[in-house]
Formats: sequence, structure tokens, C-alpha cells
Amino acid sequence: MNLQSMRESSELLTRLSNTELEFFESVSRETHLANGQILFEEGGPADSFFIVSKGKIGLEMTSPGMAAMVIQTLGPGDLVGVSCFFPPHRWNWRARAMEDTDLIVFDAVEVRRMCDVNRDLALEVLGVVAEEVVRRLHGTRIQLLDLYRST
Amino acid sequence: MPSIASSLLSESTAEALLPSAFRVISRHSETPDTVTLGLESEDGKEVPFAPGQFMMFYVFGIGEVPISISSDPQSTGTLLHTVRSVGAVTKAVVDLQIGDRVGLRGPYGVGWPVAAAEGNDLLVAAGGIGLAPLRPVVFDVLARRDRFGAVSVIYGARSPADLLFVEELHTWRSRFDMEFEVTVDRSDETWHGDVGVVTGLLPRVSFDPTRTVAMLCGPEIMMKVVANEVTKRGVAPENIYVSVERNMKCAIGFCGHCQFGADFMCRNGPVLPYSRLGDRLRVPEL
Repeated sequence: MNLQSMRESSELLTRLSNTELEFFESVSRETHLANGQILFEEGGPADSFFIVSKGKIGLEMTSPGMAAMVIQTLGPGDLVGVSCFFPPHRWNWRARAMEDTDLIVFDAVEVRRMCDVNRDLALEVLGVVAEEVVRRLHGTRIQLLDLYRST
Repeated sequence: MPSIASSLLSESTAEALLPSAFRVISRHSETPDTVTLGLESEDGKEVPFAPGQFMMFYVFGIGEVPISISSDPQSTGTLLHTVRSVGAVTKAVVDLQIGDRVGLRGPYGVGWPVAAAEGNDLLVAAGGIGLAPLRPVVFDVLARRDRFGAVSVIYGARSPADLLFVEELHTWRSRFDMEFEVTVDRSDETWHGDVGVVTGLLPRVSFDPTRTVAMLCGPEIMMKVVANEVTKRGVAPENIYVSVERNMKCAIGFCGHCQFGADFMCRNGPVLPYSRLGDRLRVPEL
């Protein structure tokens, strides 16, 4: 898997040094999901993370008695699966392809293991993940304001 | 500039405050609480306007409100106004039917700098009913598309049911000479598009920040968030324009009701650069 070509579109890959990128390449592969296919289910083991290269992934909240509700969509360059970086390493949401979607899959177990021995890499990775989480928190706060109702 | 006293006496001032009679000739329900009305002058006069300008809309016996023009600037015979019912007067406007008579005066205010943006990339970001004042910009730009660089429109709405101008959204999306992305805050099972805040669409559209003019319209918090994100991406604040409304009454910079800091928004705005308004948008209750 050659990640070099995706470097510009992904914040995580942009930050990595060439050596780190080589390691990420060694624990990654490409995958394809057809429209509607499930990437992961809520509660399942979060042992991978993903970067969308083409298409769209919807994060869904599911509950008995109601249709699945898409709470956020993620597109090309976006990181999917931040739960894999934090205990208890379980998915918080269901993720489903909302159209035919190509992704890079990374082995999170291997990345976590490498982060345990390489603290510089750990800081780099967690820095990017923290920024992503802050961006999503910020977006959620704006959505909670329900701004468009009163305009 | 004439003194207030001389303005009070001037015939042109009185003329500017006098509405002309218009009739509703079309009515399209955009959403349960929002309609687009087509209006024609009873004396057949055309109303040339610039994208972003507004009219004072008088419902007889109820009151007057400022409403942006949402039609194609090339079609000056029929004015379109897209109105959401949020108060007594706007509810009366939304309730108007074909054949009803209203008073209009205008157009007023400073609109979007479309001509000045020629030769640059253009980023249009709309939220909610903020798409209505930007719709004439899109019409105007597409009518002379070759004069602009990359053209991108991003649009955020509350839910799929709250999207305005749905037919046009499909048309814009199918064009090869512009990028158009839409997102909603809350989805339902009918929606297969994006969900999330409008700033999440920025990485999906291409623009060169060093030569981009951005035009933003929507709730003020939304404009602030988009302006900050666009600034982070390298667009200069003086090239970011926002449309801000206040309590416009006279619409000619006379009564002062719409004062926002150092500007009367009816006369100096509603469209102003973010470099001028950004600080004011951080002042509570201004």
C-alpha cells in the first residue's frame, strides 16, 4: 500500500516522517465497501482505524424501534475510528458506507504497540487524533445550537 | 452629506419612504414555514437590483420588514422574495396568496461584490435561509461563468426538509463548472448526503486562498465559524464578505435603528467585509 499519494489529503499522514510513513504502510491495506455495507458495529472491538480515500462513511446511532440515525458523515481524507486509540477500544457508533467507498485500513493493535515503544510517534498520532476530536466536538456544539431554526 | 434637518424636508427622502404597489403573481412553498413569492409592480415598472440588496416589504395594516431579493438579477420584471415566518409581519408575508397586494420600496443597501470578485475564485457559504440572498450571486456568476476562477457553493441546513430551492440544488450539483456541497445538521432515513456542520464541507471544495473571495450568509455564529475556518485556510479577512441584518426601519440610513457599531446596516450594509465586522460579531448583544 503506497500512502505517499494520500499524504496531502490526510492530516495524519501529512504529519508523519518518512520512516513513520513506512511503518504505517507496513500495517495497512486497501478495502472497498459497497453502498450500504457496514464497516463496523457499535460495541465491536476497535482494532483498526481507517482513512477514507473515496466515497462516504456515515457514523450511525442505532436504537431499537427507530431507524438508524446518521450523526456525522466522513469523506475523502477523513479519519474513521478514533475509538481505537482509547480504552476500552470498542466502537461507539456503527459505521456504514453511504455510497461505494474506498478506504485504507490500518492495524490499530500494531500502531498502539509501536506507540508504546516510540513516544515521539505516540505524541504525533495522539496530537492528530486530539485535533480531530476537538474539531468534532466543536462541530457538535455548533449543531446543538440549532442555529438554522431561528434564522 | 445633507444635515438630518434638510433630509427631513427633502422630497427625495419622502419619496424613498413611499412604497409602490405590487401584486403577488406566484407562490412556492419551500418548506412548511418558508415561501418564495413572485411580485410584479402594478404600474409595470422594472426593479433593477444588485445581488444582496433588500426591499422593504409592507403588508398593509400589519407592518414593514426588510427582505432580501432572491431572484436572478437579469429578471428585473418579477422580484422573488424568500421569506420564513418568524414573527407577526413575516407570518403575514408567508400567508400572502396569488393576487394579494403589498407595498414595496427599494432596493436598498450594499450587495455582494460580484463584479469586484471577477478573475478570482469564489467561495459561497450559506446556512439556512441565508441561501436566499446568495442565490442571485450564483445566478449572476453562472451567467458569466468564464469571468471567474473556481466557483464553489457550500450550503448547510437544519434537516433535509429544510432545504430551499431543491430543484436548483440538483441543477447546481450536476454542473461541471462549479462545485456544490450540501450538509444537514440532522438527517432522516430519506437523506443520503452529508451530515455535520457546514465547515466540514470546506475540504471538499477547491479554491486558491490567495485569490479567493468568500461570500457568507446565515446565522451570525455560522458566519463567524466559517469565516474563522476560511481565514485559517489562508483567505484574507478583507476578501471575506458577510451579510448582517439589524432592525432595519427606514432603510436609508436615516432613523438609526439598524446601527451596528459604526455602521447603519441598511445603508452601509448589509454586506460588509469580515475585516470590518469580525470584531463586532464577538460583542454580546451588540
